[in-house]
Amino acid sequence: MEEKKLFKVTSNPILRTPRGTDKIMLDVIIGLIPALAVGIWQFGMNAAILLVVNVAACVFFEWVYRKLMKKNCTVGDLSAVVTGILLTCVMPSNAPWWVGLIGCFFGIVVVKQLYGGIGKNFLNPALAARAFLSAAYAAFMTSWAVPAAMSGVVDAVTMSTPLSYLHNGDPLPEYFNYLNMFLGGIPGSIGETSALAILAGGAWLMLRKVITWRIPVSFIGSVAVLTLVFGCEGYGNVEWMLYNVLSGGLLLGAFFMATDYSTSPVNLKGQILYGIGCGAVTVLIRYFGSYPEGVSYAILVMNCCAWAIDKALRPRQFGVTAEDVKAGKAAAKAAKKQAKEAAAND
Amino acid sequence: MTETKKAKGGSQIVKLAVILFLVSAITSGVLGLVNMFTKDIIAEQQRLKTEAAYNAVLPSESGYTTIEFDPDDPAFANVDALSAAGDNGWVVELTFSGAQGSITAAFGVGSDYVITGASVIDHAETSGLGAKITEEGFLESLVGQSEGMAVTKDGGTVDSITAATISSRAMANAANAAIAACKALG
Amino acid sequence: MTLKQQFKEGLITNNPVLVQRIGMCSTMAITTTLFNGIGMGLSVLIILTCCNVAISALRKAIPNDIRLAIFVVVIAGFVTIVDLLLQAFIPALSASLGVFIPLIVVNCIIIGRAEAFCQHEPIGPSFWDGIFQGFGYTVVLVAMCLIRELLGSGTFGTGIFEIVNGALHVTLDGSAAGIRIFPEQFGATILIMPFGGFLTLAVLLAAMQYALRKGAEKKEKAARAAKVEIPAPAEVKEAAE
Repeated sequence: MEEKKLFKVTSNPILRTPRGTDKIMLDVIIGLIPALAVGIWQFGMNAAILLVVNVAACVFFEWVYRKLMKKNCTVGDLSAVVTGILLTCVMPSNAPWWVGLIGCFFGIVVVKQLYGGIGKNFLNPALAARAFLSAAYAAFMTSWAVPAAMSGVVDAVTMSTPLSYLHNGDPLPEYFNYLNMFLGGIPGSIGETSALAILAGGAWLMLRKVITWRIPVSFIGSVAVLTLVFGCEGYGNVEWMLYNVLSGGLLLGAFFMATDYSTSPVNLKGQILYGIGCGAVTVLIRYFGSYPEGVSYAILVMNCCAWAIDKALRPRQFGVTAEDVKAGKAAAKAAKKQAKEAAAND
Repeated sequence: MTETKKAKGGSQIVKLAVILFLVSAITSGVLGLVNMFTKDIIAEQQRLKTEAAYNAVLPSESGYTTIEFDPDDPAFANVDALSAAGDNGWVVELTFSGAQGSITAAFGVGSDYVITGASVIDHAETSGLGAKITEEGFLESLVGQSEGMAVTKDGGTVDSITAATISSRAMANAANAAIAACKALG
Repeated sequence: MTLKQQFKEGLITNNPVLVQRIGMCSTMAITTTLFNGIGMGLSVLIILTCCNVAISALRKAIPNDIRLAIFVVVIAGFVTIVDLLLQAFIPALSASLGVFIPLIVVNCIIIGRAEAFCQHEPIGPSFWDGIFQGFGYTVVLVAMCLIRELLGSGTFGTGIFEIVNGALHVTLDGSAAGIRIFPEQFGATILIMPFGGFLTLAVLLAAMQYALRKGAEKKEKAARAAKVEIPAPAEVKEAAE
């Protein structure tokens, strides 16, 4: 009873909001609904099966691992559900369900839980799973179904994505116009085709203050600026820039993947640097890589750099002025010099 | 430590050199013996291996004779080895770049400058996609082709493997280069 | 140290790959089929034993200043002999291991054991050290091969086992197709690629550390329960000396 009257001395954060991880994850799930809806509408049954299998598998693997390792159950924070949905979003609908299952195992057990579970993984589980799958089952992960919007236009079962046309330097067919790219009538991963749906979801996340503008804007902005400046032979610069922004996984990655809390920098300036890094690596891969798409690898590469960005851009301690920092540096330099001279004289 | 070394002076260095020399000399002596014993067997194994690979692309009863060529001549760019298969034609071994890394392949070229067979010796293409260039089905589509061949995607008649156009293209181009190299021999 | 202790060290508590963490390059590079794993493991075992015996025999004649140079000459000699013999008599193994046989020269296990063990110990223990450490290395290679081969291409024992007409065939020339456990399309080919080597080795290392730690904790608990002083492990004693 007496204990209650005492002040509890803890380290920060001192103020806690009632919004826990589960509320944030729920917002992310709501934000992903438009993109998923477009994906299931365009790619049909296969996409729905993948979604169900992936979500169930992610939750199951998380539960089993925590149980076997005798750790507290973290299924309730919904982060495994989000991983399952995100993995579905970055898979082609033609992939068999067991490929998704293996991806979930890799993402949840190897990438997330072996490093300690939510908040401790250094790679985005869904993207790491996608990278694993595209190396392990390349044939399944590059077979793109024809979307419903094109069933009358294209007489085929599978087709190439707009980005692979651009990558191979082949002329883009007429039906890959801006409108289709914006609304989602193009082949691609289940959740990445419709720019409109992703923007709507992204706007919801910003409105709910789950994410800030920093990472998405700097990510998409740097891709836009770089492609606009460097362009490509055979396309107008603006045209090339729009193709690069609207097609592929850029928007999905920028709003839903790169903004993952545990794998992006905490520092505000760092977040912008991180976004620009993602954009630059994406453009590098799209221009010079052997794969047409580079968003997932770019985010994974920058995930690995997040700690370094946070370290390099660490804010000044409270109460320490710029002059203090300068003086400290000068003192350290002088001490070093002195030590060197002392060593030389010895 | 340094002082004691200095004090010992030159004799220490001579001693070290002699010991190292002795160990090296004994080792090389043993190696020489082993080499003498295995040299012929290894050469025979090597010959059998090459012959088996060459037989698969262009059989020859009279064996294969290596032809010398000028590696700086652009007609022989990428060519590793060239052998005449009796009067039947030539076998050309080339190393060229594929989608992921280098591909080494042997092509049999008949005396009428038509591909008689192909086999991939070494490659680093993506398994499941580019790695299909090693499969019978694809290699057979090269047989009977003459210079100027192209993959179906580029309007030719060589199979272009789905989602591995670059690897298939590289193989078709290498087959063209093999024929060109044989033509350059005269 | 008794023979039994040496055996336990080589296989578990001082396993070259999983505990000393040396010789990992070849462990990740060649463990794609059982044939490669056993071939490489046995090659290293033979070379390691020969080098251990030779260096232990010469240990009093080797001056401290140039010991590394002499180790390298002796190791390179044995490696080249094994390389030539393999090329002559098991060309299939030589072809599939390629450059990794000559690279045994720079395999840390061999120079590591020479430096840490043989230059102080008599010939007998050095010989057994070579056998047991080589065996520990081979066991890890075989484990890596089994995992990567099974998950990567869905087969077991490629190069050694094969089922022909319902009967098990064992061949030693590396031509056997292996026993298919599940269809090839289900195999995660990435495990056969270099990345898979890193991944599998990391998982094995983690599992080994976990097991060793659990074992040590158990011992400690038991010791505490019996209220006896915990005996210092053999390695610690050795290091203190």
